[in-house]
Amino acid sequence: MGLIPFLVAVPLIAAVLLMLFRSEQQRAVITIAAAAATGALALAFAAQYLFAGYNAFELPQETSYVITWIMTAVDVVLCAVILWSAVRYKNRTALVLGLIQTVGVIWFANMTLSEGAEHMLEVPLYVDQLSVIMVLIVGLVGSAICVYALGYMKDFQHHEPEGAPDRRHFFSMLMFVFLAAMFVIVLSDNLEWMFTGWEITTVCSFLMIGYTKTEEAIKNSFRQINLNMIGGLAFLGALIIIHIWGLPLSLSALTLVAQSFLAPTLIVPLVLFSIAGLTKAAQMPFHSWLLGAMVAPTPTSALLHSSTMVKAGVFLLVKLAPLYLVYPAASTMVVAVGGITFVLCSFMAITQSNAKRVLAYSTIANLGLISACAGVGTAEAVWAAIFLIIFHTVSKSVLFLCVGTVEHRIGSRNIEDMDGLFSRLPRLTRFMMLGIMGMFVAPFGMLISKWATLVSFAETGNVIFLILLAFGSAATFFFWAKWLGKLAGVAQKAENVEGGVHKTEWFAIGFISCLLLLCCVGLPVISEMVVGPYLAGTYGEAPQLIGVDNLIIMVAIVVFIAIVLLTPWGRATKKRRVEVYLGGSCTDPDSRQYHGSMGRTMTSTKRNWYMEDVFTESTLSKVGVVVCLSIILMAIAACFIFNAGALVGGAFFVDRTVLLVGPGLPGILLGVLVFAICAPVVGCLLDGLDRKVSAHMQGRVGPRLLQPYYDVRKLMSKEAASVNAVDEAYVTCALIFAILAGGLFISGSNLLMCIFLVTLATLFMIIAAYSCRSPYADTGADRECLQVMSYEPMLMIMSVGFFTATQSFDVARLFTLDQPIILSLIPIFLGLLFILTIKLRKSPFDLSYSHHAHQELVKGITTEMSGRTLAKVEIMHWCESVLFLMWVGMFFVWNNPLSLVLALVVIAAAWFFEVLIDNNFARMKWQACLKSAWLVALVMGLINLFYVLITPFI
Amino acid sequence: MGYSSKSPWLIHYDGSSCNGCDIEVLDSMMPLYDIERFGIINTGNPKHADIFLVTGSVNHQNISVVKHIYEQMLEPKVVVACGICACTGGVFRDCYNVIGGVDKAIPVDVYAPGCAVRPETIIDAVLKAVKILDEKAAKMGAAEKNR
Repeated sequence: MGLIPFLVAVPLIAAVLLMLFRSEQQRAVITIAAAAATGALALAFAAQYLFAGYNAFELPQETSYVITWIMTAVDVVLCAVILWSAVRYKNRTALVLGLIQTVGVIWFANMTLSEGAEHMLEVPLYVDQLSVIMVLIVGLVGSAICVYALGYMKDFQHHEPEGAPDRRHFFSMLMFVFLAAMFVIVLSDNLEWMFTGWEITTVCSFLMIGYTKTEEAIKNSFRQINLNMIGGLAFLGALIIIHIWGLPLSLSALTLVAQSFLAPTLIVPLVLFSIAGLTKAAQMPFHSWLLGAMVAPTPTSALLHSSTMVKAGVFLLVKLAPLYLVYPAASTMVVAVGGITFVLCSFMAITQSNAKRVLAYSTIANLGLISACAGVGTAEAVWAAIFLIIFHTVSKSVLFLCVGTVEHRIGSRNIEDMDGLFSRLPRLTRFMMLGIMGMFVAPFGMLISKWATLVSFAETGNVIFLILLAFGSAATFFFWAKWLGKLAGVAQKAENVEGGVHKTEWFAIGFISCLLLLCCVGLPVISEMVVGPYLAGTYGEAPQLIGVDNLIIMVAIVVFIAIVLLTPWGRATKKRRVEVYLGGSCTDPDSRQYHGSMGRTMTSTKRNWYMEDVFTESTLSKVGVVVCLSIILMAIAACFIFNAGALVGGAFFVDRTVLLVGPGLPGILLGVLVFAICAPVVGCLLDGLDRKVSAHMQGRVGPRLLQPYYDVRKLMSKEAASVNAVDEAYVTCALIFAILAGGLFISGSNLLMCIFLVTLATLFMIIAAYSCRSPYADTGADRECLQVMSYEPMLMIMSVGFFTATQSFDVARLFTLDQPIILSLIPIFLGLLFILTIKLRKSPFDLSYSHHAHQELVKGITTEMSGRTLAKVEIMHWCESVLFLMWVGMFFVWNNPLSLVLALVVIAAAWFFEVLIDNNFARMKWQACLKSAWLVALVMGLINLFYVLITPFI
Repeated sequence: MGYSSKSPWLIHYDGSSCNGCDIEVLDSMMPLYDIERFGIINTGNPKHADIFLVTGSVNHQNISVVKHIYEQMLEPKVVVACGICACTGGVFRDCYNVIGGVDKAIPVDVYAPGCAVRPETIIDAVLKAVKILDEKAAKMGAAEKNR
């Protein structure tokens, strides 16, 4: 309790001091001291309360009364700031909304304050594990961003036009006020105080977005405040209604009211609170304010998107999560808006080349995911939501800070200009790569949280959202992977421009990167010790979504990837360095120049792939706004149309609990060992047989059965040479992950984790190809990304289908079933067969590279790989083929040992079928690949999941 | 026993051939001759190839290209000159733009004459070349050990 006033006061005092002492040195001292103090206070606070569970703090009612007076005064001042700005910049909407808000605030204050001190809440402050997590996020990440701003703003002022007034003290002041407001929001049980914090963040971000006072900045800042005032008014409306009903203005009391006979009173307030949360979390149709916020200096974006502003929105929704279990209208609204926002914003991120806009869209998408999880409201979903909040904060802030620094170093925030950054800004780029990986691949926390999201939605049988999640995640992979590829390119002749990065910037980026790794490594602990108890306190149960053994393996992989990225491990410095292949007549391979026709010298360049014609930003945006707006209007209408009984009837869902029947760590390790030995042998023979059978289909004799083995042996004995020092390390990682995936599968462990690891292996292959900066390998890697995007939804749907049929994600569960899962999953099985063609690299979908003589783009993704590296790629391909065929066989296994024979027969048939297709079809265009794979996944997934999830009700 | 001879991957380059030899090269991959019986694959990528199959003579335009492709191939590697033009320049040897056989640009290991070269000759030459490939690989291995 004693620490709470300090948490709020320290940033406020810093803000005042910053306004008083304006020289650069004074500002640096104040900022660093205040940030250190805030961080230390947050840590101390966490040490005291992180494991302590729910604590409510009493306050004398007179004190409460005084604080409420102060809060009201702050509200009025904020209204005045809005009105003054609206008049000054002649913005009518802001004026009208501001006037309404002023009247509302005064009216509401008149209602509550006139009742006197004795009506104040006795326990207006509280702390639980979620609040502590938020305090840590704000205190550590937020303060680090304040420190970062010191160095950043120095460069920023430098880039401003001559004679621009130096208002940096004002900027720093706003950041600290922001932090204080966030502490108020996350620690107040008194909703009136929370509202004040809420409004402070709105106005602060308004001022920060308009910081440069350019026309664009002013326009975007008004868009921000107008949209957020809608949320603010909704919040205020909810407060007024609650007060009129005579209910206490307490967050914790809402849950109690919802479970009592008074539940109908909260129908409308909950919808209003949800709208407030959705606006703050920048969900469609309100999402445009966050995109506009990009004009502000980068620390603003980092603060707004990662640790504060938007997190306040989702914090409120997560706090309200237990209520969504009671009120179906609000729950449906939040889930639908969040889900649709997630998928549409992920699609739109593909079309963006501006790094900050990609980050913005990804932020909105992830907030959508968090909102949707909160909207479901079950303990499992909230587990996912909390972890999404944590990991999104750390990964996103690293990315924003890196992009900001990069922008000052290279003078651009366009992803195209980040080509070869790996060599120009080596350290910074590695942090950035870590941040990007943290956003979308296993084993990083974000993906584990998404995994939990998938599980919780499978448990509640929310088919539509599962489908949205599957497609959104696939798009997420695409836009991150291509950016990652751009960064990973190694340029031979690059000038290192890292010298000018300020120390404060290094500190902030390094510190938050450490936090990111720490959170990933500590995930099992956080889950057991913090989030578990929180859920146990809120719901009376701590969900077990993912086996601890799987989490431990994930942690080990995180450490491994960090080593690969951040240390010189695996760098082939002794290998002969060769140049990229550019066709025969290249003149300067290092700068990608070749002899063109008519004697001209041409330079090969490659742009990222934006697919504007497939995912058009303006159309998607319009669709999203219309659909989400109608959903919100429908939810409001529903409050008045249906009778109260239906509106408090609880959400409609099936509750299944995941069975964890996978083997322990020793079992998994044994499986990995067996797979590592057997799969290459089997895969090699299969590959040889493939070539033999293909030859016979073409009327030839074909090579020897062991030909693939000879090929690999030969490749191993070739001269060691490569284009850069890192590609072999990446390929080695890919091979290891593929073997790990297979090992998990045959040991009977988690199917989803197996799929994620296969994707991770593919990602490393892709990075290896991009790192060469060869036009052929780049195009091959692009196509590989496309292939992943094409088949990923089907794999997700397959795993959900597996769950619905077996009640578990563990493969070992198959042996306890009375009947094979194919009986209920025929459409999904057909869908898997369809994408198997892509995964096995067979025509018509062998876009990125193919084993046979069809040549296009030289050798696609493997163009620059040679010798031992190529041998590893081959072995990885064998392992993957074996694994994919086992996925096919899995559908035919039940508790009869003979079923394994049946599975083998089916595998053989499927394999022969694939070879037959391979020999009878020409390669198709990428459009056909993407569209057909998605269509198949959508149709098969919808039909099958609806069927199996609805069955219990028929 | 070396593995190089069991999996010789080749890259085919058309110097200034009249395309007669090129057609025969492709012919040797067709079902009748089925060069893949010996594990031979036409890779089209010098970084993956062990055997450099050149048809046609070397001229001022393409000499740098031939050299460049050869340089990009990794050791051990062998060169097969396919057809009389690749061996000596053939009937074009006296043309103003022709330099001569492939050996004017890079070291050639096996000469396969003929106009156009017959698929049987190509197969024969390639099988001779893989023996040389094995020898080179063995030498490389020995050098590696001695180092």
